Amino acid sequence: MEQRDDWHLTEAIGHELGRGDPFAAAIRGTRMAMVITDPRQTDNPIVFANQAFQTLTGYSRDEIIGRNCRFLQGPETEKATTAAIRTSIEAGVDIQVDILNYRKDGSTFWNALFLSPVRGEDGAIQFFFASQLDVTDRVDSKRKVEDEVQIRTAALESALAAKTLLLHEVDHRVKNNLTMIGSLLRLQARSLEDPALSRTLDSMLERVDALATVHRRLYQSDDISRFDVGALAETLVADVIASTGRTNIAIASDIEPIEVPSSHASAVGLIINELLTNAVKHAYADGRGGVLSLSAKARDGRASIIIEDDGPGMPTSPVVKKGLGLTLIQRLSRQVSGKTDWSPLSSGTRVTVEFPIGSAVE
Amino acid sequence: MIHPQPPFSVLIVEDEAVLAMDLEAIVEDCGHNVFGEAMALDEVEAFDQAQGPDVALVDLNLARGSSGLDVCAYIRRHWPDTAVIFVTANPKQIPGDFGGAHGVIPKPFSRSGLLLAMRFIEQGLSHPPPTGDQPPSFFPAPHIAQAWSAAR
Repeated sequence: MEQRDDWHLTEAIGHELGRGDPFAAAIRGTRMAMVITDPRQTDNPIVFANQAFQTLTGYSRDEIIGRNCRFLQGPETEKATTAAIRTSIEAGVDIQVDILNYRKDGSTFWNALFLSPVRGEDGAIQFFFASQLDVTDRVDSKRKVEDEVQIRTAALESALAAKTLLLHEVDHRVKNNLTMIGSLLRLQARSLEDPALSRTLDSMLERVDALATVHRRLYQSDDISRFDVGALAETLVADVIASTGRTNIAIASDIEPIEVPSSHASAVGLIINELLTNAVKHAYADGRGGVLSLSAKARDGRASIIIEDDGPGMPTSPVVKKGLGLTLIQRLSRQVSGKTDWSPLSSGTRVTVEFPIGSAVE
Repeated sequence: MIHPQPPFSVLIVEDEAVLAMDLEAIVEDCGHNVFGEAMALDEVEAFDQAQGPDVALVDLNLARGSSGLDVCAYIRRHWPDTAVIFVTANPKQIPGDFGGAHGVIPKPFSRSGLLLAMRFIEQGLSHPPPTGDQPPSFFPAPHIAQAWSAAR
């Protein structure tokens, strides 16, 4: 008997009768669907299909033997998958794919196909061996999960878009209100006759302006949970000096970015504003010029902002006059778990504001 | 290119009366004259002067649903020599080419910020390029920034 006809023996031999090749009998009896095709015949027909294959596909042996495996394909079978299988067969290599196949009754199932060439001693391909496993449940549930993920992602994206829109709207309104408060104070200040009252109102205006600057900067960065107080200090110095209209006060700044929690932004902004307006009022009083130095550094988890003037220095202790300004500085420093210290220089005064960078005050 | 000399005539397009009053006062503090005020596009269209303002300060969200971008387009058509500066709390609404405007002053503005911005714009318009440092309160449009840096 030709070796190529051996397969037919397995049909004839019942292993329960104790005859034949036990390996062939095992293949016949397993629940794993298996076929063997003969590439030496025209169109690589199926020459063996076990019982599990017949059960899986609904075709009887007579309907299977002699046909190419593509008879299991249908309209929904992906072309790319069949092309991949064809390529592997032509190249004589293994392939493992999930392919949508059709049963005899037209119903579909996802087939986890393993296909390998079987080579003879001379290395030539004698057969292709293929096993099929119905993985419809796995593929379906994977697709269901993917669909669900897609729906949830869309819902989250739309929720995020709504939140972002709301944030922009609130930001816009806060800015408009801050602008309005500033404008009202300015209009009121213009109408005042009493210079002392005017000065008080101007101080308030400076504080509102400082808060406005903080808010403007807050929404310029992409991450609104962090805030660069180094850049804020630099902006405030430029604003405050500019607001005096004085050209004889030079600014020497040495600024590093210092990212702090946004909850610190207003407090730090107000402290810096008080110190700067103080320096302008006292160190550079009566039109006296000079250089105002500003440095902002972060070291060992602490922010350090130093403002130095080269004015006449503070004549007596306490170095800053009592008033709302000093109270604000002290209270706001405490709010950010930091402190503000004054020290005399040979010419002028140095004020150091220090606070931990990480500790958000919630 | 026409280089207007100060004092400029300045059109203020702002629908918040308080801000319009404040802007007017600050513009006058800068030594310029107020050309007029408008709260919406139709009020800008109602100006019949053939000679437009030197500068227009234009808010983005105006009364009666009109947009500062439309005001800018109208001004560019009717008074091509007018420099439009947006004054807005929403700079991100401005398109990349600024619709032909010269720049933006973000709200909230401070008096000093506005004074500095106006001084810088004044230099840029009458004797370009401006000689001072660009203040943090003013952002020129890309084509203006390019023209100024090319002239340096």
